[in-house]
Amino acid sequence: MKEDKMKFPVLKRRRCQLAVFVLMTTTSTVLQAQNKIDLASLTAFQNPSANWHLAGDVRADLNQNNTLILSAGTGILVTQAEEGKHGQDLLSNSSYGDLDLELDYMMAKGSNSGIYLQGRYELQLLDSWSVIIPKAGDNGGIYERWDDSKPEGQKGYEGSAPRQNASRAPGLWQHIKISFQAPRFNTAGQKTENARILRAELNGVVIQENVELSGPTRGALQNTEVASGPLRLQGDHGTVAFRNINLTAYDKPKPELLDIKYAVYKGNYKPEIDYKKLVADTRGSADILSSNVGKLDNEFFTRYTGTLRIKEPGEYSFNLNPAGGNGSIIINNKAVVNTGQRKGKATLSAGDISFELIYAKIYDYVKPGFALSVAGPGIREYLISDANVASGETVDPILINAAVNTNLRSFMDIDTIRVTHAISVGSPLQLHYTYDLDKGMIVQVWRGGFLDATPMWHSRGDGSSRPSGSVLKFGKPIMALQTLNSPDAVWSADTAGSSYKPKGYSLDGNDRPAFRYSIYNTIVNDVTRVIDGNQGFHREISIENPVANLYLLLAEADIIETPSDGLYLVNDKSYYIRIDDAGGVKPVIRSTNGHKELIVPVQKKISYSILF
Amino acid sequence: MHYSIKNILHKNYTAVLLLAMAITVFGMEGWSQAESAKEDDYFKIMKVPAPEGIILEVGGLCTLPNGDLAVTTRRGDVFIVENPTSQHPYFRKFASGMHEVLGVAYKNGALYCAQRGELTKLVDTDKDGKADIYETVYAWPVSGNYHEYSFGPKIAPDGSFFVTLNLGFPPDWWHPKSFVPWRGWALNISEDGNATPWAAGFRSPCGISMIDGELFYTDNQGDWVGSGSIVQIKKGSFYGHPASLVWTNMPNSPLKVTQDQVFSKINPRLDVDKDGNPVKPPNIVNEKFMAEYEMKKFIPELQTPAVWLPHGILGISNAEIVKIPEGSFGPFPGQLLVGDQGQSMIDRVFMEKINGEYQGAAWAFRSGFQSGIVRLAWAKDGSLIAGETNRGWGSAGEATEGLQRLVWNNKIPFEMRAIRAMPDGFEIEFTKPVDKKTAEDIASYSIESYIYKYHAVYGSPPVNTQKCIIKGVKLSADGMKARLIVNNLRRYYIHTINLFGIQDKENSFSLVHPTAYYTLNNIPEGDKLSMTGVSTKNSAAGTNKTGGATARGTSSGAVTYASVKNILLKNTCLSCHNPTKRQVGPAYVDVAKRKYSVAQIMSLIKNPKPENWPDYSTPMAPMPQVSAADARKIAEYIKSLEKK
Repeated sequence: MKEDKMKFPVLKRRRCQLAVFVLMTTTSTVLQAQNKIDLASLTAFQNPSANWHLAGDVRADLNQNNTLILSAGTGILVTQAEEGKHGQDLLSNSSYGDLDLELDYMMAKGSNSGIYLQGRYELQLLDSWSVIIPKAGDNGGIYERWDDSKPEGQKGYEGSAPRQNASRAPGLWQHIKISFQAPRFNTAGQKTENARILRAELNGVVIQENVELSGPTRGALQNTEVASGPLRLQGDHGTVAFRNINLTAYDKPKPELLDIKYAVYKGNYKPEIDYKKLVADTRGSADILSSNVGKLDNEFFTRYTGTLRIKEPGEYSFNLNPAGGNGSIIINNKAVVNTGQRKGKATLSAGDISFELIYAKIYDYVKPGFALSVAGPGIREYLISDANVASGETVDPILINAAVNTNLRSFMDIDTIRVTHAISVGSPLQLHYTYDLDKGMIVQVWRGGFLDATPMWHSRGDGSSRPSGSVLKFGKPIMALQTLNSPDAVWSADTAGSSYKPKGYSLDGNDRPAFRYSIYNTIVNDVTRVIDGNQGFHREISIENPVANLYLLLAEADIIETPSDGLYLVNDKSYYIRIDDAGGVKPVIRSTNGHKELIVPVQKKISYSILF
Repeated sequence: MHYSIKNILHKNYTAVLLLAMAITVFGMEGWSQAESAKEDDYFKIMKVPAPEGIILEVGGLCTLPNGDLAVTTRRGDVFIVENPTSQHPYFRKFASGMHEVLGVAYKNGALYCAQRGELTKLVDTDKDGKADIYETVYAWPVSGNYHEYSFGPKIAPDGSFFVTLNLGFPPDWWHPKSFVPWRGWALNISEDGNATPWAAGFRSPCGISMIDGELFYTDNQGDWVGSGSIVQIKKGSFYGHPASLVWTNMPNSPLKVTQDQVFSKINPRLDVDKDGNPVKPPNIVNEKFMAEYEMKKFIPELQTPAVWLPHGILGISNAEIVKIPEGSFGPFPGQLLVGDQGQSMIDRVFMEKINGEYQGAAWAFRSGFQSGIVRLAWAKDGSLIAGETNRGWGSAGEATEGLQRLVWNNKIPFEMRAIRAMPDGFEIEFTKPVDKKTAEDIASYSIESYIYKYHAVYGSPPVNTQKCIIKGVKLSADGMKARLIVNNLRRYYIHTINLFGIQDKENSFSLVHPTAYYTLNNIPEGDKLSMTGVSTKNSAAGTNKTGGATARGTSSGAVTYASVKNILLKNTCLSCHNPTKRQVGPAYVDVAKRKYSVAQIMSLIKNPKPENWPDYSTPMAPMPQVSAADARKIAEYIKSLEKK
C-alpha cells in the first residue's frame, strides 16, 4: 500500500464536520441549568395516587411479572401495578413547551409504561427485552394515534417504531434522552406547526430523529393540543421505576437575524482591514446567513452584516464552525468570537443589535461552508445559518448488518484504548459482541445494529469499525484468565509470564466462532453463543489440562450486587452475570482499589451468562 | 462488475511518451515508422467476469495447484475463483471477516493470509467449500495506526513464511514511525508459530515476492526512499528507512545498526515552522547530499536496490514481483514483471548477478489496467492475473477495484530482451533481428546516468545526471545483439539507455519500449572489447542533438497542448497528468481553475503543495530537475486553459 499524504487534512475535516453534527443534535448544557426533579418527596407532582412510591433502591425479579422489590428510602420513583387495581398516571406540577428530558428508568418483567410529553405525546416504555424487530408499541417507540370512528383493525395510525431495539433487560437501569419541540400556535390559537420529537436516544443510540407528531397519541391526557402541558408518567399499566429525571425547558423566543447583507472580497482576511477602501467582488443581501453567496472557492473572505433581534435578554453562546478557514463575530460592536476561535459568549439585552460575521476561506482543499449555532436563556441551541452548507464534506456510510451470523475483524476502540486484534461477532438476533484476541476477553456486547465500517473502509480508512447499536462495555481490556497465588493477589494487567498465544477460532455450521488460545501450557476453548430467547450471551470456557490456581475474571465494576444465588448485578444494575456451571466452586467478589472484581476459580470448565 | 471498459482502452501514454522523447531528441530524423506496434498489439487486457455486487479490492492473489485462483480483499474476504481464465468463472466465498487481507499463499491444502495483525491459516475441514478453521499462526503487535499494513506471506524453500510490515504514520506523516516491534521489518515465521526478525529498514514494503527461493520486495517512494525499486531481502540487512532501527537493541534482532548511525551522517530533517510546529521538509536543491550506496561505507549492512524503477516513469507505488514462467509471454521467460498501483501498469525487469549481487534493466511493459495493480499471479494457461485496488490512493486506471487478466497473443514484440553489463559498456539483446543500418549508427542510441538522494525528504529528484559517451557499437552477425562501448560508466548509478533510432529488420518498426533503466551496482571485470568490427559511425555527429521539439515548442507564439506536449513528456509530467482527465494527479484544466500565476505554477513544479489536492492521494514529487524554460512553457500552457 502506498503511504498517506493527505490523511491529516482529511481527518481534520471530518472532525470539523463531526463537531457540527454534535452541535446540531445535542442540546446545550452551557446556559441551561438542568432542573432535576427532587425525589426526596413527591411534591413535584399533582396529587400522586397510591400506586406511586419513593424508594432507596429497587430490584426486579427476572421470573416474576410486574414486580419490583423496593428498599426503603428516596431518590427513586416507582409505580407499582397491583393485582385487581388500576393505578393512575403521574403529572408534574410544572407545564412545559419545548423540553429536553433525560432520565433513568427500570422496567419490571413484562411491564408497560410511557412518558407523555405535555401529557399528550407518548414515548412508549415496555419490557421489550429480546425483541428483534421493534414496533411503534415497543420500548422507545412513539405510540400510535387512535381514531375510534374507523372500523376495527384500522383505528391505530401513525406512530414511529424505534430505529433499533436498544432496550435492556428488566431490572437494569435504562437511560433515555428526549428532545421535544411543542406545537406552535398563532395568536388566534390555531396550530401553525406540529409537535416534534427532535431526537430520542435510548441507552446511547439514536432511536428517533425529527419525528413529526400530527396530534396527540393514543391515551393522551386530552386530544386538544396546547403550547405547554405537564410531563406525565404512565402508572396504570405496570410496574416501573424512574430516577435522575432532568428537565430543561426551552420556552423563550429565538433570536432572529434580519437585514443580512454580505460583501465578498478576494484575498486573505486581515483584522485591520478598512472596508471603505476595499472593492468587493460580490455584494448583496440574503434571507439566511450562508456561505453560498459568492463565486469564489478559496482565498476570499465574506463579511456579513445584519441585525440580531434579541427578544429574551441574557447570556448567549455562539458556536461558529468555518470550513477550510476561520471566522469571527462582532455583536453590538464587541468581538464575541475572535478570529481563529470557534466559540464565544455575550450577554445581550432585548432589542435590535448590530451583527457582523467574517468568514475567511483559506484552504484550497475544503469546499466553502460554515455553521453558526446559537443558544441562549431558555433557548435550545439551534443552527441560525444555512443547513445546506454547514460543512464541506459528506460521506456515504458503510454499515454492516448481520443478516446472517457475521464475523469481522477490525481495530476496536474501547474508550481510549484501541484493541488491535479484535473480532466482532454479529448475529441476526441483533445481539453482538467484540472479543479481544490478545486477551481472551469479551470487551463489549451490544444490541441493535451490528457495525459501522465507514472508518475502516471509506478511503484508506483507519482500520477500525464501531458498533452501531446500544453498547455495554466491560472496561479496560485485561487478561480474562490468570493464575493467582492467593485469592487476594492482584489481577495482572498484561500477559507477561502466562505464555499467552492466540490460536484463532473455528466456525461451527452456522459460522459462529469458538476461540482457542494457549496459556500456562494448556489450551483454552472459549465459546460464546446467543441465549435462546435473545436475553444475552452464554459463554463456556474449558481448559484442556488443569492449571493450578487458575481464575477467571467475570466482571470488574464499582458495584457488584448479589440479588440471588449465582446471579450478580454489575455496575449499578447495568447487566447481570448468571453462573450456569462453575463446577461446584463459588465466585468471589473482592475489593481492590475501591472497586469490585468478580472472580471464580476455574478447573475444567466454567459457563455463565451475560444478561442485558 | 461495474467497471467501464474505457479503461481497458486506456491510452498507452508510456509508449507515447517514449516516441515523443524520440522526437525530442532527434527531431524527425531517424524515426520513420508512424505505425510501429504498441503494447496492446501483443498483450491484451481481459476481464475476469465476476458476479455483480462483489467488491474485489484485491489485496492478495495466488493460483492453487488445481488452477483455481485465491483472491483476498481489503474488505476481509477470500474468494476462490474456479476456472478463472474461462468466460464464466465461478466465485466461491471461502472466508470472510478478516482484517484487510493483503496477501495469500497456498501450502499443503491450506491458505495462509496476512491480516493486519497476524498470519492466519485457513482450512476447510468439513469440505463444504469454505474455511471453518481460522488458525492464528503468529500474531504480531500493531499499535492500531492506520498505516500499519502487513504483507505476505511468501513461502520460503524450507516451508517457513515471510511477511513484511509497514511503518505507522504519526501526525507528521512525512516521518513515519515504528510504534511497536517489528513495524518496518520483515519477519520469518515457522509453521508452528515462531517468529524471527529477519531484516529492517522497510517503509511501505507492499511488493514482497519470492523468486526462485530468494526473497525480494519493492518499497514505495517516500522519505529515505528516493524511488521505487526491487531489492533482495537478506537476513540481518538494513533497507534504508531508519524508523525501524529502534528495535535493533532487542535480543533477537539480527542486526545492530542504530538510528544514530544514520542521523550522524544525514540530517533527519525534523523541520518546524516559526511556531515550532512540525512541517514537511522540502527538498533542498543546492545541498551536499549522499546517495544510498555512499552510506554503505558507514553501514555495511545497508542493502541497496538490485534494480531501481524510476519514480514517475516505471510506477509511483510498485507492488508485487513475479517471474515469467517458461512458455508464457514469449521471449521473456525467467524475467520479472512488477505491478504498480498508482500508474496501473506493469514493468519488466531483466536481472543478472555480478560479483554476487543482483542488478539489471527495467522497462515499461504494459499500462492501461483499470485500477491500481497490487498483486500479480500466473494462471495455469500462462496468462497473468492482476489484482487491483486504488481506494484511498487513486491511480491512472480510474476504477476503484478489479481483477483483470493479461493475455499474450503469441506474436513476438520488438523489444530489448535483455541488457547485460560489460566491463566497458553494455550488451543489448533484442527479441528480433535489428536493421543493420540503424543499429550500427551511434546516433540511434543515447545513454545518461543519474542517481537519487538518500535523505529524510519525501522522494528525490534525479540528481548528478551525466551524459555517457558512446564510443562505438558492434552488432552480432545475426542482428540480435548490439554491444555498446560506453565511456564514464558509474557504479551504482541508473543508466537510462535510449534506443530511439533502432528499427527491426522485418518491419522497420521502432522498439515497443525504446528506453531501459539499468542499475549498475557492479561493473564486471574482464577484457574490454577490441575495436575490430566496431562501428563508430554517428549520423548525428555535428548536428544539434538536443534541439528538436523543445526549441520548436518555444518558438511559436500561442501555447497549445501540441506545442508543449513533448516538454510534458520529456519531464514525465504526463505519467500523472492529462490535459482534461483526472489521472494520478489533477487534469491540467483543473489546475488552471486555481488561477495560479505563471510564477506560482513554476514554483509549484519545483515545490508542489499536495495538501492543496486532498482528493488526490499520491502527492506530486518535487521536480527541481525541470529546466526553468520548460517550467515556464508548462506554466504558460496551464495558464492558457483558464476560462476567461
